[in-house]
Amino acid sequence: MTRGTLVYIIQRLAIIALTLLVVSFVVFVVVHALPGNAFISQRVHGRTLQLLLHEYGLDQPVLIQYWNFLKGAIHGNLGVSLYIRGEAVTPLVLRELSVSCELGGAALIVTIGLGMTFGVLAAIRQNTWVDYLLTSLAVIGYTVPSFVIAGLGIMIFADFLGSVTGGAFAYSPVWTGTYGTIGELWLPALSIGLYTSGQITRITRASMLEVIQQDYIRTARAKGLRERVITVRHALRNALVPVISILGTTIVGILVGVLVIENIFGIPGLGKEFVESILQHDYNVTVGVFTIFALLIGLSNLAVDLIYTVVDPRIRY
Amino acid sequence: MATTITPWSEYEGGTLARQQVGLWRDGLRRLRRNRLALAAIIYLGLLACVCLVSLFWTPYNPNLIGVCPTYALPGTPGHPLGCDDLGRDLLSRLMVGSQVSLAVGLITAAIVLVLGVSIGLLIGYLRGVADAIFALIINVFYGVPPLMIAIVLYVLLGPGLINIIIAIAASTWMDMARLVRGQTLSIREREYIEAARAGGARTGKILFGHIFPNALGPIIVQTTYVVPAAILTSAFFSFLGFGVPAPQADWGGMASEGFSPLLAGFDPYILLWPAIALSVTLLAFNFFGDGLRDAFDPRQRR
Repeated sequence: MTRGTLVYIIQRLAIIALTLLVVSFVVFVVVHALPGNAFISQRVHGRTLQLLLHEYGLDQPVLIQYWNFLKGAIHGNLGVSLYIRGEAVTPLVLRELSVSCELGGAALIVTIGLGMTFGVLAAIRQNTWVDYLLTSLAVIGYTVPSFVIAGLGIMIFADFLGSVTGGAFAYSPVWTGTYGTIGELWLPALSIGLYTSGQITRITRASMLEVIQQDYIRTARAKGLRERVITVRHALRNALVPVISILGTTIVGILVGVLVIENIFGIPGLGKEFVESILQHDYNVTVGVFTIFALLIGLSNLAVDLIYTVVDPRIRY
Repeated sequence: MATTITPWSEYEGGTLARQQVGLWRDGLRRLRRNRLALAAIIYLGLLACVCLVSLFWTPYNPNLIGVCPTYALPGTPGHPLGCDDLGRDLLSRLMVGSQVSLAVGLITAAIVLVLGVSIGLLIGYLRGVADAIFALIINVFYGVPPLMIAIVLYVLLGPGLINIIIAIAASTWMDMARLVRGQTLSIREREYIEAARAGGARTGKILFGHIFPNALGPIIVQTTYVVPAAILTSAFFSFLGFGVPAPQADWGGMASEGFSPLLAGFDPYILLWPAIALSVTLLAFNFFGDGLRDAFDPRQRR
């Protein structure tokens, strides 16, 4: 790692910190401006409500509340949940983050694995039925909403397969523990991953087609290298840069997918918590989830930019 | 309107002097050749007709509970698509649902167009401090999933179709603004802009009379991609329970209602119909967008 890279990373981290500050402030103010409060469903009124609001500091001006939140957040303390009274937000959010990461990571593997394989295959078999099939799959993948794919999956693998085999082989669309087993995980991950892999397939195919026409590929072929070596080592490596450049967008796509899919399959992760916390006016949790999402996107974008330098040594920061 | 220099490969039949045509006629000619885009246009036309008809007439009242037996299967006499868990006619609800999708898609695209183009033109033309502030705002917006921004905004604004549209537009205008800013940055350095300025044209005239028409191709294409993106986001919205208020039918909400019968092992049709309608509509808008891009975006010409 050169000095320049280090300076670049520090700059980027500063920008991420600034983004986090702005995001958390805006969300904090907006969430506190929502009509109603977290205690509505608990039917507390008058003096009791006043005491509760005072206990959680909710009777203070929003700016002071934010300042207090910020003081805690710097020490890694995101406050306490208002809905589940007194539950600390940080461990809650971190646990849910690990669940979401399990799902998101699986979806990322599906995305990159399927997307690049399909893209490369479609490119080296350009204008054959393989190409047409895979590109159509990619188009369907990135247009059909993830919950539709999830629904079709449940239809086929839970209901149909279950009734055909008399319940012996059926997908169970219910998440039982905190962390899912592979048997539970594959359909949610696939529902998210099919969408994002469509984009990867398109980019990989286009980029491979461009690279394959280059002179050095012809040279490699003239040297008598095997076709597989040419495809993987010479063509794919050079075709990777555009693919990596959309990985940042892909990760945002996966996070949106996580948000939706977790609510379908009842997965106890950040996405489910986000929707619930908004409906429950659980301010601290909403802000916490938002901040974690922003941190996740910031860090993964930084990681993507650093991967560039590994794939293409000509790129330096 | 700028006529682009046509590459050699474009000259058909060996005649060198191809007739010079404007952006619109050239684009339409290319669009007509694209069969997939043509099919998409026909489907979207049909959808628009269904939407218009549903404003005045549906087979049954889409919100009336108990017009047919609950969970009636498709093909039940009088109810070709079956009925949902409350005994409402699915065909009627599907027809009415197209209103929400089309309204959200088209109006959001219109708002994003106006907002994104104005901001993009201004930022690209002013540069300097304005550009730096813009970069900061965009950084923050790209730092969180747009769906989350839209949900928080929507909850703040309160339920209703208009608020859904505002929330989605507010979370998706950046792409358009960034595109127009980039276009403006490159176009403002051209000679004809210099000539216009030398001729005493005012800033507004230069922006909307000279820069905007020359960036029109990519802007049109980007707008057509906003439509499916907005429809998809609104479907996610309804799906997560932030959609239009209860009895009003929309495809995302219908799909969401279809999930609990599906998970309980009942018939899957309640989910299937809105899912198909939504997917085909999104596909059609995307094909239409691809066709337009091939037709109007000079950089993408084949």
